[in-house]
Amino acid sequence: MRLFRQDLHLLAGAYALDAIEPGSELTRFTRHLNRCQSCASEVRGFREVGTAMAFAATAEAPAEMRDRVLTAVARTRQLPPEIRTHARPRQARARTPWLPWLSGAVATAAIAVAVFFGFAQAHTQQQLNQAQAQNHTLAQQQARVEAELTQAKEHDQALAQILGAPQVQLLSHSTTKGGVAVVVVDAATRKLVVATSGLPPLPAGKVYQLWLIGPVKIVSAGLLPTAQAGVTSPVVATGLVKGDKLGLTVEPAPGSKQPTTTPILALPIPV
Amino acid sequence: MNPNDSDASRFTSAATDRRGERDLDDLLVHVARGDQDAFEALYDRMVGPVYGVIRRVLRDPSQSEEVAQEVLLEVWRTAARFDPAMGGAATWVTTIAHRRAIDRIRSTTAAAEREHRTVDVSPPHDEVAEAVEASLDRERVRRCLDGLTDVQRESITLAYYGGNSYRQVAELLHVTLGAIKTRIRDGLIRMRDCLGVS
Repeated sequence: MRLFRQDLHLLAGAYALDAIEPGSELTRFTRHLNRCQSCASEVRGFREVGTAMAFAATAEAPAEMRDRVLTAVARTRQLPPEIRTHARPRQARARTPWLPWLSGAVATAAIAVAVFFGFAQAHTQQQLNQAQAQNHTLAQQQARVEAELTQAKEHDQALAQILGAPQVQLLSHSTTKGGVAVVVVDAATRKLVVATSGLPPLPAGKVYQLWLIGPVKIVSAGLLPTAQAGVTSPVVATGLVKGDKLGLTVEPAPGSKQPTTTPILALPIPV
Repeated sequence: MNPNDSDASRFTSAATDRRGERDLDDLLVHVARGDQDAFEALYDRMVGPVYGVIRRVLRDPSQSEEVAQEVLLEVWRTAARFDPAMGGAATWVTTIAHRRAIDRIRSTTAAAEREHRTVDVSPPHDEVAEAVEASLDRERVRRCLDGLTDVQRESITLAYYGGNSYRQVAELLHVTLGAIKTRIRDGLIRMRDCLGVS
């Protein structure tokens, strides 16, 4: 046991250089970091070596990148800070692994998801602007679109909550008809976020429907919105239970109570 | 008075020394509150090392640009999650940059392109901005790398700049896994002491 732990400790160097391949070893080490103060502080010091090496590799970035990033920033919502409760012991904070690997992958997905969502919201905002621009706009119509916008904002919040949760997992899987589903799972709140890219377009009157396929029952998890440029904006599903698989089927609009076709995706969700 | 005005002169310097570190932390705190000017200043300070390290790992300029953009946007999005107690802002940002570069080479799409990559241990002189600070950093790092044993130096550069996992490094250097883990860690301890970081 002692030997095992010492062996694990040796990985601090490789970990700090991002040189442990994703897998059980990385998971084990990340878990170990939670408990091992000296490992965590060693990793911190090693990361500073990495920082010096990054600065030593300084290179001139393409000038046009600056505008692109600043424009994107102006359009991108920031994640809220993590709320720390006062009851939480001060020690616990230092033991939190710094930037666990998984959060990295999730952050990348979160950007993709935020960009998808950005499209959806921009679209709604545009509708609102259009509605406002029309001289003879019916107040009713405007109210409807405003409600849609509020809904979009609430959706955005729900999304940010999940994507910002401390222990989320990222899964992605291709469907049997092509295209990919990206799933972010927050086991703690039993929620997940699904976005897809490259699913085949459907004929009129058909929709993609998500399902939580459990050992005893199948529950609808909502419809995928219409894809924009091949990408569907994220859908939040709640009420995950242990053993659930995420299913995706093609259903007649406006969706079915139970799946009527063979799922093109059945992805086990670790809860 | 706008507090950002008084800070602006400090933030525009491209200094990468320890004195500049606290300013960068302050900047990131402002960024977390949605201050786009602070982000712009942070961008100017960090884009060189961010793009540089990604470019060093990925080699391909267009992929590097793409990843660097994602990283800088991620810094904006997640700035509120930065915890100064866990290390400095520069380390936070470069850690994200390095990790995203590694994510990219480990993703399957990049696997094929990776075949064409060669590991080059010396800095690509032609591409490096000739900023004084950068060359000082380079000099410092080079000097400290020179103080390592050959295996330590090669392991660290193959892992950090080459983007290889320690298993791949072991394969490349024909050394056992246990030995590589030890060499990397010992080398980093020496580097840490040589660079004078905590």
